[in-house]
Amino acid sequence: MIGLNHYLIVAGLLFAIGLIGVIRRRNLLMLFFATEIMLNAANVAFAAISHYYNDLSGQMFAFFIIAIAASEVAIGLGLLILIYKKQGTLDLDDLASMKG
Amino acid sequence: MVTPIQVTVQELNLPLLVPMLIAIAGGLGILVIDLLKSNLDKSLYVMLSMIVLFADMLAVAGLTPNRGFFDLMLVDGVSIVSQMLIIVASMLFIPLALTSKRFHEFSYPEFFALFLFMVAGFQFMVSTDNLILIFVGIETASLALYTLIAMHNRSNSFEAALKYFTMGALAAGFYAMGSAVVYAVTGSIELWQVKEALSISSGADSTIIAVTGGAVLLLVAFAFKLSLFPFHTWAPDVYEGASAPLAGYMSIVPKVAAFAVALRIFNIYIDLGVESVRIIILVLAVVTMTLANIMALVQEDVKRMLAYSSISHAGFVMAALALGTTKGNAGVFIYYALFMFTNLGAFTMLWISRHKKLMYSGRYDHPYEKFAGLIKIMPIGAVVMALFMLSLAGVPPFSVFWGKLFIMSAAVDAGYIKLAIIMGLNSGIAAYYYLKLIVYMFLKEPVFNVDTIYYNISKPLMVIIGIAVVATVTSVFFFDVLLTYIYTMISASGF
Repeated sequence: MIGLNHYLIVAGLLFAIGLIGVIRRRNLLMLFFATEIMLNAANVAFAAISHYYNDLSGQMFAFFIIAIAASEVAIGLGLLILIYKKQGTLDLDDLASMKG
Repeated sequence: MVTPIQVTVQELNLPLLVPMLIAIAGGLGILVIDLLKSNLDKSLYVMLSMIVLFADMLAVAGLTPNRGFFDLMLVDGVSIVSQMLIIVASMLFIPLALTSKRFHEFSYPEFFALFLFMVAGFQFMVSTDNLILIFVGIETASLALYTLIAMHNRSNSFEAALKYFTMGALAAGFYAMGSAVVYAVTGSIELWQVKEALSISSGADSTIIAVTGGAVLLLVAFAFKLSLFPFHTWAPDVYEGASAPLAGYMSIVPKVAAFAVALRIFNIYIDLGVESVRIIILVLAVVTMTLANIMALVQEDVKRMLAYSSISHAGFVMAALALGTTKGNAGVFIYYALFMFTNLGAFTMLWISRHKKLMYSGRYDHPYEKFAGLIKIMPIGAVVMALFMLSLAGVPPFSVFWGKLFIMSAAVDAGYIKLAIIMGLNSGIAAYYYLKLIVYMFLKEPVFNVDTIYYNISKPLMVIIGIAVVATVTSVFFFDVLLTYIYTMISASGF
């Protein structure tokens, strides 16, 4: 029987995968994907907990997270296109000009 | 089973929404005007935004503390005070678009529309205790802010926007996961219910681990927004890449909003006596102010120095939040109310000295050498800049001194003598790098042979600087009024 704990463990693992992705990835597009994975981890957790408590607010939260993730992607991809036009690369190590 | 609910208009309490609706309607109005007739001058949009912000401020002033809109909205003292701070800072920011040189971003009406949407986002963020609406508010404001930074149209500002965006997306992930944990522990996403549930269930070891875990995730999210160590690394780069007024704005308004929300969330833990959360916040605050001060010492650019200095000020204020006393909580807002004028003034001084080309250094707009011997070139400018620096360093009787004094006395009252000593020492370190700029301006010979560095000056900018100077110098007279107002507001809302 799959219970709440299984879902929470999956959510925790997804979150960790996303976090490792944000830290390790050098390609900006991949880095954005990793942040989406983190948000979706929270979605899984919310949906499961909401079912467990028989309370709808968690699922509402999940829907809002989906909407926000979508708008974040819209802005993020817009920025990426700007950067790619200007610099011709999406690799973090080549892009960073400000340090210190 | 979900039963249909009956709602009357009175229960919705729509007046609570009016301030945000004014800002949003103003933003939409600006977009519509652009559709009807394009290529209007930016001064029209600046004036429209000022009118909208003014109406917004009146609406906020008319609010009475209440709940409404299915209990989603919570307008209390904290909300009203922080909305006021947000709007006043925005009104000081918008006229900075009227520079004598033409800058790319201000030629788009979208800039002003996005700006007003951002203000509405911040207002939503501070006037709710529902985790969903807080999240929506944070993201509305942040997404608009990333775009505003990128509109400066330099490769540095694209990089700045991207860095801020990445950090913001990461913070959003942490925030969502943190609220999921809070929801799992308490079964609610309304903070007042969370508080009730936590005060009943606290005790078992497993609960305490889960409660602390949720608090840590949320703390990471807010550490990103408040640029606390070790999540502060984006801040100097973003400030460097953004235009000077926007950098000044970012050092105040998003932080006031984030502090208001952090106050709502972490006050629950501190009130319930979860000591681990208080200790984590205190350690973060102390490390933030000390490390940022040390980093500020070695900067070559005035704007980066100011960026590190605002990080250090944020750490200072975060320590006040950890005290858990009404005096400490009121100190957060009093500090920002005083810091606002000085810091915006300092960034405005950088903005009027901005040239479209990098004239003074291969990388920086405002290296220290640019200001060398300024007293011989532009005596008044040098004096005004020195005034802001002295105020930031906490020299009496200028504004930030009163804020520092208030927070330190709050720390002593709460029994944190060592914290107060660390704060004092940090103000001493900070004085060094502020005085470094004063030494450059007053004691060194000019490095570059120029007759002015204020290329960008115009009457509206001078008015803003005048307001900042007056507020900085006369703070000793209005500090009492401000203190009484903010203190009553904060204590009336139960913090």
